[in-house]
Amino acid sequence: MTNENRGLFTLEAAQSYLAAEPTLDVTQLSNRLWSVSDGQCRTIFVEGETSVIAFDTLGTPGRARAYKRAIENTLPGKSISTLIYSHDHLDHAGFAADLAPGAKIIADEICAKVIKARKAEGQLVPNAILSGHKNQLSIDGVDLTLLNPGPTHGSGNLSVYFSEEKLLFSSDTILGNAKYGFMPDYHIANFVEYMRGFLALDWQVFVPGRYQITDRAGFEQGCDFIEAVQIECQNAFQEFVPIWAFQPMEGYVGGKLRQRFGNMEGFDDHIGMIALRIVHHYLMGGYGLEDTPNPGVLLADEVTL
Amino acid sequence: MTTASPAQDRPCEHCGIFTIGNLAAQGAWRDITYSPVRDNIWTASEGIYRTIFLEGEKGCIAFDTLTTPGTARAYGAAVGRVFPKKPIHTIVYSHEHLDHCGYAADLAPTADIIAHSYANQVIVARESDGQLPATEVWEGERKSYHLDGCYFELIYPGPTHGDGNVAAYFPQSKVLFMVDTVAAGVGYTYLMDWHLTHYIPVMKRFLSLDWDIFVPGHFWVLNRQQFIEILGFWEHLFEFGQQAIIDGLDPHDWKGLNRYTDEKLGPHYRNQFRYYEYAAMNLSRYMQEYLSGGWGIEGNLKPVTTAL
Repeated sequence: MTNENRGLFTLEAAQSYLAAEPTLDVTQLSNRLWSVSDGQCRTIFVEGETSVIAFDTLGTPGRARAYKRAIENTLPGKSISTLIYSHDHLDHAGFAADLAPGAKIIADEICAKVIKARKAEGQLVPNAILSGHKNQLSIDGVDLTLLNPGPTHGSGNLSVYFSEEKLLFSSDTILGNAKYGFMPDYHIANFVEYMRGFLALDWQVFVPGRYQITDRAGFEQGCDFIEAVQIECQNAFQEFVPIWAFQPMEGYVGGKLRQRFGNMEGFDDHIGMIALRIVHHYLMGGYGLEDTPNPGVLLADEVTL
Repeated sequence: MTTASPAQDRPCEHCGIFTIGNLAAQGAWRDITYSPVRDNIWTASEGIYRTIFLEGEKGCIAFDTLTTPGTARAYGAAVGRVFPKKPIHTIVYSHEHLDHCGYAADLAPTADIIAHSYANQVIVARESDGQLPATEVWEGERKSYHLDGCYFELIYPGPTHGDGNVAAYFPQSKVLFMVDTVAAGVGYTYLMDWHLTHYIPVMKRFLSLDWDIFVPGHFWVLNRQQFIEILGFWEHLFEFGQQAIIDGLDPHDWKGLNRYTDEKLGPHYRNQFRYYEYAAMNLSRYMQEYLSGGWGIEGNLKPVTTAL
């Protein structure tokens, strides 16, 4: 019988799910930078002069161990000295205790507060806290820029820019396809504006937090796609489409956007979910203080670091 | 110096947060039904959304504004029809969402507005066209109001749905009103802006109060037993959501979600109100609670469970 870190699971039957160690796909992006994927979630790691800087942990103890093994196989003799959390969610950053329990953990302040409040088993609280929109760090010979443009997805979501590689990694924001599902914990109000802000930087390769790597054009298409859904969701509301029902929203928004975006992988399977989520943004006004033109974080003072 | 434009010169209805130009739906009239609940408490609905209003000695107290400028005007007209000589002098916001509280400017633009601090913080930051900020903000868990001969208590039990979502409790009438938490049936779109970590323990706190009528923010009025049974369904979904992950279901696989709920939940719940519309998306939301963790700080704080 295994005794894995549980995250938030309470069912004993979750142990087998938590323990499973999948084969990961490792892709070399430059002479010092790799991307790793379990088929759904994706992250990156960087070779430093004496150690490895890993982003995120993947979403279960088993996957975190598989991630650790992938790094060891790629960079034998170098261990993970630094972990950087892209955001607070367990499926990306939930199991540092299984990946690198002794590593320094860097995260945005709000991300760290959420993690401290959550107390999920296996998710370690960051011990190096950042704030502000831009932090330029030099870690073990690696220069990188961590960027938080404002609420996009989850809490304290940090993107990383590698100027040398002309590469941007941003987790669970823009994808290289249309497989957004119900867009869980996305903050729609400023999302496209904040994401387009990254286009001011000089990069050509975009590594998303899920699915396949894409390029600048794929990223721009992703921004255009979400923006177009936002417009058609408003039109649906104004044309008296029953906006709380899946099939009418799938039919209306899918019909409007299929010609322009139907070539995106997952379009037909996801457009109904995306549309239902986004139309409720206009109906309800967004989720919380993060989702306003003047974003903030409600109850942020309730947690001290 | 600028002056307000006459209504006929306005470029559009109050726009909420819409950014497109044609806002025909915003102004559309919706017929409102209304009926007495108990004592001086009345309820109003346009078929999907529901709220309450109170008859005071000199005027009326309206809770929420309903969903659009047109609906808000129709709601105001309904109150005026029931109590022709008693204008709405106070609006109480249940929470901050536009579909319930977005159009005070169309319901009663000069009324006093009461809201919980958490709700008002969001309203002020949102700057939504037609949603007026509160004129009286309260903080904490509970506050009593004696207004124009009406007595009620506003209760913020903890995060449930939206921000600063409060219940109105009428102890003399044994009536409880709360929006977007418990409603008829076993489905609720994607449980938009629900704080699942808190939801069950926080809502159970209301069982420590003496009431037998529950007026929800949608559909029909419920009794105490129905309230308990509906909470039981949502509580059951926590283990169901975990099991779906263990079984390898992808929360973004719409067809798979529907197959899974049809097979596992359908035999127990398929005859319940709105089951087929929402079972699959509700499961997806519950799965996310375990995959991602709760959302934001409010979705991760330790729930308050003490009696009210």
